[in-house]
Amino acid sequence: MCLAIPMQIESIDGFTARCQAKGVWRDVSLFMMQDTLPVVGDFVMVHVGYAIQKIDESDARTTWELLDQILEENGA
Amino acid sequence: MDNARAWLDKIHAFEFDRPIKIMNVCGGHERSITHAGMRGALPKWLELVPGPGCPVCVCPEEDVYQAIRLALHDKVILVAFGDMLRVPVNVKKGEVRSLAEAQAAGADIRPIASPIDARRIAQDNPDRPVVFFAAGFETTTAPTAAMLAEGIPDNLSILLSGRLTWPAVAMLLDSGSPGFDALVAPGHVSTVMGPEEWSFVIDRHEIPAAVAGFGTESLLASFYSVLRQLKTGERFLDNCYREVAHPGGNPTGRRLLDHTLEVVDANWRGIGIIPNSGYALRPAFAQHDARLLFPDHTDPGRRRAGEMPPGCDCAQVVLGKIYPNQCRIYGKACTPRNPVGPCMVSDEGACRIWWAGGVRVAVDA
Repeated sequence: MCLAIPMQIESIDGFTARCQAKGVWRDVSLFMMQDTLPVVGDFVMVHVGYAIQKIDESDARTTWELLDQILEENGA
Repeated sequence: MDNARAWLDKIHAFEFDRPIKIMNVCGGHERSITHAGMRGALPKWLELVPGPGCPVCVCPEEDVYQAIRLALHDKVILVAFGDMLRVPVNVKKGEVRSLAEAQAAGADIRPIASPIDARRIAQDNPDRPVVFFAAGFETTTAPTAAMLAEGIPDNLSILLSGRLTWPAVAMLLDSGSPGFDALVAPGHVSTVMGPEEWSFVIDRHEIPAAVAGFGTESLLASFYSVLRQLKTGERFLDNCYREVAHPGGNPTGRRLLDHTLEVVDANWRGIGIIPNSGYALRPAFAQHDARLLFPDHTDPGRRRAGEMPPGCDCAQVVLGKIYPNQCRIYGKACTPRNPVGPCMVSDEGACRIWWAGGVRVAVDA
């Protein structure tokens, strides 16, 4: 349940960010990021619909690869 | 993956004349370890023990029972993370034993993926009470606190079963027989709460500890770190997930938790009360506390109330006292298709993770 997925912010409206990860879009709350508000283009770790931390693009891509592997295994 | 190879080589270069056990306390860690087949690649003297890392597994039986009763008898819309729906309670044969069965019996129960879904469902159904049954560790409870702090509709209340991870580890360490030599601390709990939360493992117990992320390299780096600490006698809290778990954690998240919730003694299914290990809504949010708004359907006199299902060794698995396949019913009476205990239900449960990883044969404890 503590799984978090990196997503990239495409637009921001108040505390709601439209985010994308590998062709999947979600509305993500930035309410937990008020101390270091991200901007459009930033990558964030998203857990149960909330951004919990900013993350570098290279770290985001590494995490996506890892998640792909795990999803592949679970689907098998 | 070159780096993973290098970490493995460094770990293999150690020599220990006794078995070394490293405990993890996160279902995500256990999934990565099992998925990558790390146990097979590590030295024979090194054991990786899954510990208390599954909030669904330790969610009190009486809370699941209460949620089922609220949905069946009080005509609420009950929303919960999907993992909770198949968790069984201990009732007589023929009675509704899970939220999924209550749903099949006509109760309005909806799986959600985010606290935001709970708020939206309440907004869309202003004439009906909506109860969010919220089980989870700090990583999940902080977003629930955020939702509460931001403002929720009058008809939404929370049946909170939030738990803190570190008190369970503290309890194991205080017991005198923790069953592990070193700790890998959870990456996303540390992201929210701050890695420093785990300093007590070193300061009070002189047990090596390192925060790890979920990739192979981060986990192997954390194993190397704690083994090196064991070897040299030096002790410090290492952080092998610096890119995400920052000192101090997520300050907004911690502030929102503190603003809306208080830390209380709490029951862990099959384990008992652990001091300061649970969250409860503060009095200022009483109008959204489902424990105060609805009748208490739990009956402590109910047979096996609060316990794991009969025959299920899930509590021992959660505490890292036995491995999943050492449970008396693993792979026999209990499989993901027909789970008996919550460790086989939840995606975070060690039994389900091991089964998915191909461990299909039970062994003696």
